[in-house]
Amino acid sequence: MTSLSWKVGAAVAFAVGATDVVLSAYQGVTLSDLVVGTAVNAVTISAGLVVWASRPASRMGVLITVWGICGFLADTVGLLPDSRLGATVGLPLVLLPSAVYAHMVLAYPTGRLVDRVDRAAVGVIYAAALLWSLPLLVGSNPSGCTDCVPGVPSLLFIGQIGPLRTIGQGFSALFIMLGAAFVCLVVRRIRRASPGVRRTLWPLALAAVFGGAQFIARSAANLFGFASWQETLLWLDRASGVAVPIALAIGVLTTRRARGPVGNLVVELGNVEPGGVRDALARTLGDPTLELALWLPDRGTWVDERGREIAVTETPTRAVTLIGHELAAIVHDPDLADQQALLEAAGSAARLALENERLHAELRAQLDELRASRARIVRAGDDERRRLERDLHDGAQQRLLGVGLALQLVRARVPDGEAAELVAEAEQELREALRELRDLARGIHPAVLVDQGLGSAIKTLAKRSPIPVGVSADGERLPSHVETAAYFVVAEALANIAHHADAGHVDITVRRENGSAIVEIRDDGRGGADATGSGLQGLADRVRSLDGRFSVHSPPGSGTCVTAEIPCG
Amino acid sequence: MRVAIADDSVIVREGLARVLADRDVDVRGLAADAGQLLALVDAERPDVAIVDIRMPPTHTDEGLVAADLIRERFPDVGVLVLSQYTDAAYALRLLDGDEKGRGYLLKERITAVDELADALERIHAGECVIEPELIRALLANPARSDRLAALTPRERDVLALLAEGLTDRGIGERLWLSQSTVETHVRHILQKLDLPTGAAHNRRVHAVLTYLDR
Repeated sequence: MTSLSWKVGAAVAFAVGATDVVLSAYQGVTLSDLVVGTAVNAVTISAGLVVWASRPASRMGVLITVWGICGFLADTVGLLPDSRLGATVGLPLVLLPSAVYAHMVLAYPTGRLVDRVDRAAVGVIYAAALLWSLPLLVGSNPSGCTDCVPGVPSLLFIGQIGPLRTIGQGFSALFIMLGAAFVCLVVRRIRRASPGVRRTLWPLALAAVFGGAQFIARSAANLFGFASWQETLLWLDRASGVAVPIALAIGVLTTRRARGPVGNLVVELGNVEPGGVRDALARTLGDPTLELALWLPDRGTWVDERGREIAVTETPTRAVTLIGHELAAIVHDPDLADQQALLEAAGSAARLALENERLHAELRAQLDELRASRARIVRAGDDERRRLERDLHDGAQQRLLGVGLALQLVRARVPDGEAAELVAEAEQELREALRELRDLARGIHPAVLVDQGLGSAIKTLAKRSPIPVGVSADGERLPSHVETAAYFVVAEALANIAHHADAGHVDITVRRENGSAIVEIRDDGRGGADATGSGLQGLADRVRSLDGRFSVHSPPGSGTCVTAEIPCG
Repeated sequence: MRVAIADDSVIVREGLARVLADRDVDVRGLAADAGQLLALVDAERPDVAIVDIRMPPTHTDEGLVAADLIRERFPDVGVLVLSQYTDAAYALRLLDGDEKGRGYLLKERITAVDELADALERIHAGECVIEPELIRALLANPARSDRLAALTPRERDVLALLAEGLTDRGIGERLWLSQSTVETHVRHILQKLDLPTGAAHNRRVHAVLTYLDR
């Protein structure tokens, strides 16, 4: 805010006050009326000018100034010495401040009416505020009417109009409805506002609801003729007039408090953790909904601070501010858009941190890709094993069986003797070959795992183990990639135990916990297993490829416990 | 004896048909999948249907499914499932419900036609036949040895044959024992293993296999 704008504001306030004092001297207006009226108008106009000067992008300043001028004109014209000109100009001005007031409240804080309903309502309010005085200016009630509106000595006066009173009542009813509509629109704005906006909006909204309510009450008093209320209502009107600048001040102050200075941002960014720049910016700019998008030139996409791809588009409810050249973008509450200077300052302060953040996001995106490709490779390997197992079964095994069957036919046709013995030998060899083939196929991919599930497959493994194995597993089926990984964990662990552990007993448990399959293989052997050995390392890789966890607990002398936790999602 | 053969491999089903025909077994027809087999059984009513466990379309356990359907629709037809798996879980699935006239053998048994013919005879006679290698694997399991420690060596021999599905008489013939001696052994074994005696005689193979697989 420049000191000039303060000075202009103060000067205008003084001028307005002085004019009112001079004019009221003519009219013998009471001191209290004078002080209140003058204060309201003077304060409003200067506040408007100050806002106008300090935030030229916002139309708020214009609206506040216009509102104050209208109020001043309406009051001042009323103070002019009785004249037909004064009445003709003054009467239409009486309600104009109320209309500008409604316009201003609904347009806060940008000064623009975004919503179509708001725009239509403001249009109707202006029209009503200007038109209501027309019948009063052109005519008067028939003479002899006691509680009628007194005739106005206007330049436009034509003569007596019969239904003048009815027209006035109609306008009063319309004002009640418009007042109610205004209150509804204010409430609707508060309800729809983003948290950041709501914080700055509520003082004004409170004042506006109060203003709307007293306007409705005034119109109702006109309509039903509660003359005794007029004095009270006049005071309420003034109070609501004063409430607005106060509310605006509160709004500006809370906005200031919510938006910490950019200097704090610089300090904060010095200690920020990777991924924390968004939070720091959100705090500085006072917009908890703020999103940070980082541009990855290599991929030509926007990603968030975790490396996930996001869309950056401007919508009526979200504004976008670009930072640097192809570096980052802030997606924020459109309310912030009029604070371009703050946004730019915050953006430049965050630049270095954002470069850093982008590197992190890029790294994370690459890491995610790497993880996904690792999972794909493991799954492709599993699929390949399954195919190989089927090929062995459908190809080699069937042919060997065919040979065996042929040998049966041969033996039936060969007389006992050397030839028959040779055939029997061949048969024996063949059966060995078939058995080896069967074991090979099982090692590549056990069919029982697919057909009967993990529990059965582990039981079969346990039966083949030279060391007694206790198995505790329910029959629940798990996703096939989880079953395969768990199976190979158990198979490898059992092989390790048989070779190295010198164990007397093994316990295997498979259970499901929080959406993960947990496989635990615990032996009572000598412990001290090397978790970086190729076998265990391979298992760890396999489990981690599925975003699982793998651990080996093996204190020397107290057995080994291998645990794999594999998410089933 | 009349048999029907279902195997998706031409080499195996044609070869098996020839070998069996060589042994004067009446092969009534060949099928390449479970659907064809059911139609064949319906038309020919063989004594025993020989079924490969893996057949199209999924190549997993079609043979077991077909065995159940045959048992349901044609209770008089025995079923011999040929498998490459020594997992007890498959055999137990086959015996589920009723074990009479059902057999589970490793596929390579077809290269020992005497054993195959013997198994077919037993199934035709309403016995149950379980792959000896599967039983051997179960009994060799070290985790089981504690629980079987109470059995005498003789009783263990009897237990193995019992699990293979032999009748008391069949066991007696193999071990050169009188039927009443076998019966005594069997009663002792079942008592020691805490298995139900007597009543469920036609479920005893299932009970013993379940016990050994535990």
